[in-house]
Amino acid sequence: MKKSMGFLSVALLSMSMILGACGSNNNSDSSPSTPSGSAGASSAEAPKSSESELKPYEIRVVYPAGAVPKDLALVQDEMNKYLTEKINATVKLEPIDWGSWMDKTNLMISSGEKFDIVVSSNTLGYSVNVAKGAYAPLNDLVEKYGANIKASVDAGFLEGTKVNGEMYGIPVNKEFASSYGYLLNKSLVEKYNIDVSTIKQAADLEPYLELIKANEPDIIPFFVGMQRSLGNFASIGDIDQLGGSVGALDRNSNELKVINQFETPYYNEMATLAHKWYKAGYINKDAVTVTDFGQMQVGKAFAMQMELKPGKDAEMSQAWGLDVVQVQVKEPYTTTGNITGIMGSISRTTEDPERAMMFLDLLYGDKYLLNLFDFGVEGVHFVKKSDSVIDYAEGVSAESIGYRNEPWMWGNQMITYLFPNEDPNKWENFKNFNAQAQKSIALGFAFDVEPVKNEVAAVANVLKQYQDVIDAGLVDPAQEIAKFNEALKAAGVDKIVAEKQRQLDEWASNQ
Amino acid sequence: MDKSQAISQPHRGSARAKERLYELAVNLAFILLCLVFLAPIILIVIVSFSDERSVVLNGYSYFPDKFSLEAYKFILREPDSMLKSYGVTITTTIIGALTGLLLTALLAYPLSRRDFKARNVVAFYVFFTMLFNGGLVPWYIFYAKYVGIGDTFFALIVPNLLLTGFHVMIMRTFFVNTIPVSILESAEIDGAGEWRIFFQIVLPLSLPVLATIGLFATLGYWNDWFNSLIFINKPDLFSLQYLMTKLLLNIQFLAMNTQNSNMMELLANMPKETVRMAMAIIGAGPIVLAYPFFQRYLIQGLTIGAVKG
Repeated sequence: MKKSMGFLSVALLSMSMILGACGSNNNSDSSPSTPSGSAGASSAEAPKSSESELKPYEIRVVYPAGAVPKDLALVQDEMNKYLTEKINATVKLEPIDWGSWMDKTNLMISSGEKFDIVVSSNTLGYSVNVAKGAYAPLNDLVEKYGANIKASVDAGFLEGTKVNGEMYGIPVNKEFASSYGYLLNKSLVEKYNIDVSTIKQAADLEPYLELIKANEPDIIPFFVGMQRSLGNFASIGDIDQLGGSVGALDRNSNELKVINQFETPYYNEMATLAHKWYKAGYINKDAVTVTDFGQMQVGKAFAMQMELKPGKDAEMSQAWGLDVVQVQVKEPYTTTGNITGIMGSISRTTEDPERAMMFLDLLYGDKYLLNLFDFGVEGVHFVKKSDSVIDYAEGVSAESIGYRNEPWMWGNQMITYLFPNEDPNKWENFKNFNAQAQKSIALGFAFDVEPVKNEVAAVANVLKQYQDVIDAGLVDPAQEIAKFNEALKAAGVDKIVAEKQRQLDEWASNQ
Repeated sequence: MDKSQAISQPHRGSARAKERLYELAVNLAFILLCLVFLAPIILIVIVSFSDERSVVLNGYSYFPDKFSLEAYKFILREPDSMLKSYGVTITTTIIGALTGLLLTALLAYPLSRRDFKARNVVAFYVFFTMLFNGGLVPWYIFYAKYVGIGDTFFALIVPNLLLTGFHVMIMRTFFVNTIPVSILESAEIDGAGEWRIFFQIVLPLSLPVLATIGLFATLGYWNDWFNSLIFINKPDLFSLQYLMTKLLLNIQFLAMNTQNSNMMELLANMPKETVRMAMAIIGAGPIVLAYPFFQRYLIQGLTIGAVKG
């Protein structure tokens, strides 16, 4: 009797576990397709687009963020109220931590989870994901539903995201070029009456560095860190990197010729200057190991190199709490990397790609929606000071605000509101910046590393060993650059350069 | 006096002095060792109470220029997420450790019984899972899609932590070596069923291994952040360790990607060094403070078993 009781309970237990597992098969953890809120709320109102009856659909939006904002549900509800009227859809906003972004999205893609909109970027694995088939092709969708996108993003820039002739991501309309220059500690500039207009190139900075070194023993004249160093100019700033690793286009040449950027005389020149500054004591000793801009941030450094855009100094001043002035040294330059810096993509597992594209398109033209998404609910999180300027709402500050998003991640940034401390002409400046930027002749070319991925990995090791140290000026370039290039050759750099050239030529012939 | 006398009587004075010297040396060595272990922790506490600027300017130091409570104020300004995480972690630890302990014992016991015909097969199976697993993606797909517990409370308890081959093997070995077969046989003769033998004879005799595995399981659950990272999207369900680790992971990731200048600006806004230290203290502190109280029971449990066996 007792034995059979035991047996029975075991049998029951195992049966219930098996049944339980079967049952939950139907509900995967992704959101159910019933929209949050209101299927019926759409009532008799016909959707704005003149398509046939749009069924309610929930768009799952996945994007990286530092933290899930407290008021996310509030903002999501407001957005849903509006979206239900417009396109009879609702959104489910899912911010994911930066630190787990790559892991989580890779898992979501590999397991075929249903989601709709996802943020993509060349630094977040765009080309790898395109190769994996993670994103939906967008050419047709943009044709049919992307009116705002086509109106706001220059056609040339849209080309930049194409892989094999098909778009897989829509670039966020913001600054599309990078120009290199310096950020200078404003109080020191004023103290010594430094005329920043005399700084036209790296060497012009030298007398000021000497001045600072002589008069301010505690201040680092030229702060180098996190790969922002003189050598960088030659290895990133003055070339089109063509997707990374070694092999670049000289910005100043009109030929589509791929060169090893570490063999150029310009690189040698920059590295030598960097070494001279290092020996003179202008550069901080921990240049290659420092992990943040702390020294600059607290005012212990005078100058540092930075990629610039209009208003960069205002942004950094605010972020750092220390006033800085920017000095642009290089003309703005647009490469494929600038365009694929941050984009919106649609997952291949979406069930309604048209609706997802409609939502994406709204972010490029619908001022109300984009600002709601970027800044929160009017009155609760921000108040309008004028037609285009907002400020934090009563009793709300940057630290206590219940909602935040990254405006540079979405849509057409040019229609978003500005804060009082920003230049009211910021968007005009951006537009000019983009228009004036020199566009690389290889704009739109994306390098497929697959054929040379072993060499790229080997070269990456060599780069890690030599590049930062030479760029920052810690070692004598006279010998080191030769050794560097030797090591690169041994790792197969010539093969990479040849492959890039081959792909570039092929791409050019298809234009 | 002659030599024999001098040798036969131990020179008490110097012997005692030697002993004391020896004791002193050993004590000193251990005190030094303790200090070496404690020093980093003390540093963390001190840095968490330092002013951010002085940390950036001077690095970590035992004697910072300025003290400040800013880091703790920053965290406690929004205590909700920390409190929720505490709740989540404590609940998962208690439920997970107890359930896991029970399941492990239930699996290990039959494996230790000679008369279980299939025991070698099952033991090999368990052992095999210790060596090979399917990888991250199949693991994720299995739990998220097929079992359907992705983004739920169960995702923090079941995957990877509930039942570990290693623990089962330890328990099995203990059962085999410590439970005399004669006791089991005599219980059977007296008419006890299997369940009764398990709960009333085997388990009480196994307190040491139960305490050990229980401790391993508890630590495993308390320290786990990986399950939260992979499975959880709802911030209400983040475990405590994940809350702190994600800050570090975010900073690391953004620091690697500084070529994207927008991400670099984000990095500048991340909580600073002192806040990270304060988070570590708040996260680990209560357990460290509570442990001395539980230590007594743990040791009692262990020694009781030993004496009986």
